[in-house]
Amino acid sequence: MNNTIFLLAQNTENFWRKLPGQGLVIWVVIGLLLGIALLFAFTQVPSNLRRWIIVGFTFLAGLPYVLAYLWPKPIGADLQNDVPRNLSEQIGFTINQAIDPVGKITNVLQAFLLGVGIFSLVRVHITKVRRKSENWGFSTVLLVCFALMTTVGFMDWRQRKFMDDNGLLNEPSNWGFFQYANDLMFEGMYQQMDSAMFSMIAFFILSAAYRAFRIRSVEATVMMASALILMLNLMGALTYAWGTGIESLVVQTGNPFFMNFKLNVMADWLRSTMQIPAIRAIDFGVFLGALAMGLRLWLGLEKGGVSS
Amino acid sequence: MTFWDKMQKVDRRILYVILVVFVCTGLFIPVKIPVEPDPSSKDFYATVMAIPEGSTVLVQTDWTNSTRGESMGHFENLMRLLMSQKLKFVFYSAADPVAPQVARTVITRINAERKAEGLYVYQVGKDYLDLGYFANAEATNTNMGTDLRQAWANRTSKVPEGGEVDIFKTDVLKDIRKIGDCKMMVVVTASASIDIAIQRLANKVPITAMVTGVTGPGVLPFYQSGQVKGIAIGLKGVYDTEYLMANGINISNGDERPKVTWAKTSSVDKVAEGKTFARGNQYYGTLHVALVLLILAVILGNVGMFMSRRATRKGGE
Repeated sequence: MNNTIFLLAQNTENFWRKLPGQGLVIWVVIGLLLGIALLFAFTQVPSNLRRWIIVGFTFLAGLPYVLAYLWPKPIGADLQNDVPRNLSEQIGFTINQAIDPVGKITNVLQAFLLGVGIFSLVRVHITKVRRKSENWGFSTVLLVCFALMTTVGFMDWRQRKFMDDNGLLNEPSNWGFFQYANDLMFEGMYQQMDSAMFSMIAFFILSAAYRAFRIRSVEATVMMASALILMLNLMGALTYAWGTGIESLVVQTGNPFFMNFKLNVMADWLRSTMQIPAIRAIDFGVFLGALAMGLRLWLGLEKGGVSS
Repeated sequence: MTFWDKMQKVDRRILYVILVVFVCTGLFIPVKIPVEPDPSSKDFYATVMAIPEGSTVLVQTDWTNSTRGESMGHFENLMRLLMSQKLKFVFYSAADPVAPQVARTVITRINAERKAEGLYVYQVGKDYLDLGYFANAEATNTNMGTDLRQAWANRTSKVPEGGEVDIFKTDVLKDIRKIGDCKMMVVVTASASIDIAIQRLANKVPITAMVTGVTGPGVLPFYQSGQVKGIAIGLKGVYDTEYLMANGINISNGDERPKVTWAKTSSVDKVAEGKTFARGNQYYGTLHVALVLLILAVILGNVGMFMSRRATRKGGE
């Protein structure tokens, strides 16, 4: 019975979702035409009104998320499978259904931003190469690598997606030119350079530990003592040896109080009693600020970005 | 100029050479070091091991090779754990476009390892699904929590029989109607994507995490509050997981006392098949060396500062 209700719910068309074979193509065409018309209309809007369009869309995009939290719904409601009983519930269901398309639109927009970023990057570097500006050689390297990686990556994806129904290309023995080239460029070069860049931090940390971490105040001493306990606790061999020593001491003296001096016990105490409450307090402040900023952005009160 | 003054002005390249020599040497000497796993690691292991065979787990993999020292070990351990427990899984990324490809490479390697050991090889479309990259973590996680079938609607996957089918018709997701039907969500990350997942999904599916040492402290408040069921943190977390996979919890070998004891649970088995000690074991010795170097650097730097100051004061008198 539950399965039937579930399947019915899944196949039910709603305002936000049209199923294949029910005029879906017409809706897609209408949506596309509307989109083009809207884009054209936006280009014609006077600049003093553009702010209000941005504010309006920001408000509309945030509205379903806010309403989904605030709109009353029956206790224990299953918004995917239940059927609304009255207008209030119907509105709640529609708001809930709106979250998916709004979320998908923001996903598309975010992906679109990646495209805009790539376009901007390529344009800047092509201009640099054309004008032979300072370090234009690096720009040439970037553009050549970009073109090679894109071509090889796309061809590899195309062959895996459309010409390899049985997944033969998952086995390196079946690889062709594009699989080897992609592996060399992505795994062999890009990924290794990524790791190498990050590993350089180790040198800075060691240098900073030697030159900059100075005990000049009580606060610095407390911080260093805490850091030392936490660092020592990361060393399993030491923790184990220290813990075994403490356990023998407890057996010899019969006093379990010494167990508090095991490294992992001290580190746990530091984490749960000092570190976590401090982080929680900082998070609390940060999220209050984020909430205030979110409200200002959503209601169009934030001047920067929108007006500039 | 006194000895301590010279030490204060030591060329940083000498420090770099010492670091390279000691750290690289450690990499070639993997040693099985006895440890007391962190409670959060034990919770992580116990939570995974409690999932019934054949269940589906969500894996949000948001790491790339920049943090592979920690995250790759985490992801490999997770794959070994899920495969040894015969769990199905879906993986995707909500933070980095490169992350899915990095995960694919690891899965291919773990599958090759299992093939060499004569174990079952996981197949895409049957045992796991690869959903790729979602561009916006906030919207993606919210949509997954609101309606998983809508959030992943119209996605297809290759299947071992050939061709592509809707992901909800595959063995992995055919019984999943909402996110709560998945037994667990694991977030492997080096960033704040874990925070977003917790904020949007913690009340809908049990969440566990495998994070870097830098990200770890930020997740601990969620672990303490019970919103995250278990966390493996940093390289210690990688080694903890491997140690737990090899030894279980409260499991004794004959007359020996258990290598890992825990009052919170009765007993949790060690993994039944496949490799246990791997990347964590290879790197853990190096972590010891690096930490000793770091502690020595701090001590020497401070002793040098005090001695140098004392010498200056004496010279002034």
